[in-house]
Amino acid sequence: MNVVVTPTMVGQVVISGILAGALYAMVALGLALIFGVMRVINIAHGPLLMLGAYTTYFLYAGLGLNPYLSVPVSMAVLFVIGAVLQRTLVFRVVDAPELSSLLLTFGISIALVNLAQLAFTSDLRAVEYLTGSWGLGPFAFSKTRVLAFVFAAGVTTLAFLLLQRTRLGRAIRATSQSREVAMVCGVNVGRIHTITFGLASALAAAGGALIAVVVAVQPEMGQVWTFKSFLVIVLGGAGNYPGALLGGVLLGLVEQIASLFLTSQLSEVVAYVLLVVVLLVRPTGLLGGRQT
Amino acid sequence: MAAPVLEVDALSKHFGGVAAVAGVSLRLEPGRIYGLIGPNGSGKTTLFNCITGLERRDAGRVLFNGRRIDGLKPFEVARLGIGRTFQIIRVFPELSALENLLVVTDGPLAAARTRALELLRFVNLEGLKDEYAGNLSYGQQKLVEFVRVLMRDPTLVLLDEPAAGVNRTLLNDLLDAVRRLRDEGKTILLVEHDMKVVMGLCETVFVLDHGEKIAEGPPGLIQADERVIEAYFGR
Repeated sequence: MNVVVTPTMVGQVVISGILAGALYAMVALGLALIFGVMRVINIAHGPLLMLGAYTTYFLYAGLGLNPYLSVPVSMAVLFVIGAVLQRTLVFRVVDAPELSSLLLTFGISIALVNLAQLAFTSDLRAVEYLTGSWGLGPFAFSKTRVLAFVFAAGVTTLAFLLLQRTRLGRAIRATSQSREVAMVCGVNVGRIHTITFGLASALAAAGGALIAVVVAVQPEMGQVWTFKSFLVIVLGGAGNYPGALLGGVLLGLVEQIASLFLTSQLSEVVAYVLLVVVLLVRPTGLLGGRQT
Repeated sequence: MAAPVLEVDALSKHFGGVAAVAGVSLRLEPGRIYGLIGPNGSGKTTLFNCITGLERRDAGRVLFNGRRIDGLKPFEVARLGIGRTFQIIRVFPELSALENLLVVTDGPLAAARTRALELLRFVNLEGLKDEYAGNLSYGQQKLVEFVRVLMRDPTLVLLDEPAAGVNRTLLNDLLDAVRRLRDEGKTILLVEHDMKVVMGLCETVFVLDHGEKIAEGPPGLIQADERVIEAYFGR
């Protein structure tokens, strides 16, 4: 392999990596929340992202709504869908062995993808709203990627403010540290679970809305996001919310840097290899998992 | 006889074929300190769990201020005014000392903050309010857990082994605090293995053995009770 890497190229991939990483971090924070609070690994996280992308697509195609304005709408719609899923199905497996919750959310995932195929067909849809790049010195960044970064960073900041500064956030963190004690302290844990699942789905929806402008919207677009989010929280330490941020940025960087050296098919493999390496070398994540 | 704060009536709880609590009845009057003792595995913690709603009872009733609370969810029981601590300390390790207390609020936050700071001052932890509870010493965590119970100003306080692993100075502070609660009219039920603590603090002691209440009375009489001695030391 004979690759010439210039400093400009390195700068370009580093910045691209951070741009992509913010999006990963935001979506993965949702998965981390559900895992932290309920010890459930939500395989349906990616398909919920897909529903968020469709919401944005239909608002754009049907009503001509600016896709960036539809971000909060998609989040609200998916908050409700997530809360309903929790109330009707997921609450049954919160205390069950991990395999039960994996099977259930895997089932939800398949159901959502197939329902989307039935309802929306498998046609590729595009939200052609914005194209082109912004230049900055020797670098060029696609506008949609930059905007995705800005929105993802904003939404993630709001999510952290909610967790750190509000009564609801405190109750969520308390529940994730000890459900039983939270109950005895008067926290309505069932309600916290419902809200957490809603919030997590809203974070996935924000991701879906933002990438709807970048990639094709189709029923199977979500699953890879389940995997990537899972990788991000493994990288950052399961149950460690700031760790999800670090993991997201790291995944973005690794993917971009790999794309310098590898063909595009091979660079897809990098994330998987990274997962295996982390699990072998540091299974508690880079920042360490939550102590129990 | 004053109207009871808590009435446990023929309460039973089984785990598989084992009766953890078998037909226990207790009656707690306001403004008194009660002890609950018994050998390991005699059902003390299970009884606490049934009162606070963490476990579903199989039979029997629990009445709090005349109202049935068996069947309520734990958070509902807590909000009615029953606070408890755990045998093994359970603070939220990655919440600050102050936040640990603020988890217990339904009302306005400003008032809760004032009260939380007051309570931390009461146990000399105000300087550590922003420290993660997990970084505090064992004794300090115990105090955080104890004052967390007081956040909602409960009428009934259940303490699971408050003296375990606590040094003398801290223990005396804790016991003083418990007496002060009693003087404010609150009712306290404590599980304790340290007999000195039980004898010095409690006005009435219940003794459990194999899930059954085998004795009840003032500590002096309990100490001399043959069934109690037998339960602890064998025949």
